[in-house]
Amino acid sequence: MRFVGIALVHAWRQTFGRLTPEGTCKYHPSCSQYALDAFAKHGLVKGSAKAGWRLLRCNPWSHGGVDYA
Amino acid sequence: MILAGVLTPLEDLLTWALTNLHDTVGLPWAWSIVALVVIVRMLLVPLTVRQIHSMQNLQAHAPEMKALQTKYKHDRQRMNQELMAFYKENQINPAASCLPIVAQIPVFIGLFFVLRGFEGEIFPKYQRAGESVGDLEWLNLVNIIDNTKVGWGPLLVVMYAISQLTSSYLMSTTMQPAQRALMLILPIAFIPFVLNFPAGLMLYWLTTNLWTTGQGLITRKLTPKKAPPPKKSSRTPPKNEVAQRADKPAEAKPAPAGPPRVKKVKRKKKGGARR
Repeated sequence: MRFVGIALVHAWRQTFGRLTPEGTCKYHPSCSQYALDAFAKHGLVKGSAKAGWRLLRCNPWSHGGVDYA
Repeated sequence: MILAGVLTPLEDLLTWALTNLHDTVGLPWAWSIVALVVIVRMLLVPLTVRQIHSMQNLQAHAPEMKALQTKYKHDRQRMNQELMAFYKENQINPAASCLPIVAQIPVFIGLFFVLRGFEGEIFPKYQRAGESVGDLEWLNLVNIIDNTKVGWGPLLVVMYAISQLTSSYLMSTTMQPAQRALMLILPIAFIPFVLNFPAGLMLYWLTTNLWTTGQGLITRKLTPKKAPPPKKSSRTPPKNEVAQRADKPAEAKPAPAGPPRVKKVKRKKKGGARR
């Protein structure tokens, strides 16, 4: 099941991910890498939740920083 | 429907920009698209450069920050204080956000709709005024409103695939081999989808890729990888040594953790042992 999530991340990287150049995210690793790690580690459901929460945390009011899945 | 509502003003803006680039500046339509990309990306350059700079600092100091986070795990306030001090000390600016760069995505989608509805949205204005629509060709090869299967369109697709591969190749230098291979295969897998896109959108995508690749190369040149030499001398406590080892390739720490896991998952699937 988690392949669905991993495939979606790769689809993102091939399309819109191109518009957000490498190294422009405030977090490390990048959100897509975080999502890949989260899917591998926690499976589809929890991985999506973790990745979604990470995306929400990328906003002007958060501090960014190092944050591994 | 909601998406359409959000995108309509953006489409109007893009249509306005394109028409002005064509009418006022006098560019052919195809080059108006290219110019639009260049303008958008140029506006984003200061932001991108700042962000990349901050990010490189962040990556270089990732292991130390991880250590800080674990140290103050149970005292969030103290952790935040320590982290903020650390940011300041190392010129990391995490308050910046990737949102303005992410804002390009609706622009991309908006332009897709504009180019798909080019005849309906832009032509009537000229037809009403009894003027000719103007040159729709790009280098006399493709018509920007045709899909990429027509005429020399496939050439544009090949150029797109090459640009996509190049930017994948450069993007993935820090990735693990398995992920990197996937990044290099996927652009080819995307070609069937791309064949239905209007050539104008392909042109937009191609320009975007070229810009991203060029920008990546330049920023990489301008910001050489800083090896942290002062840390090498202080290798007394074992804790430091661990941090230092992880420090060398900033990417190496998350990297080895990622792919073996993915591989394991694959094996699981193939064997069908679990779910």
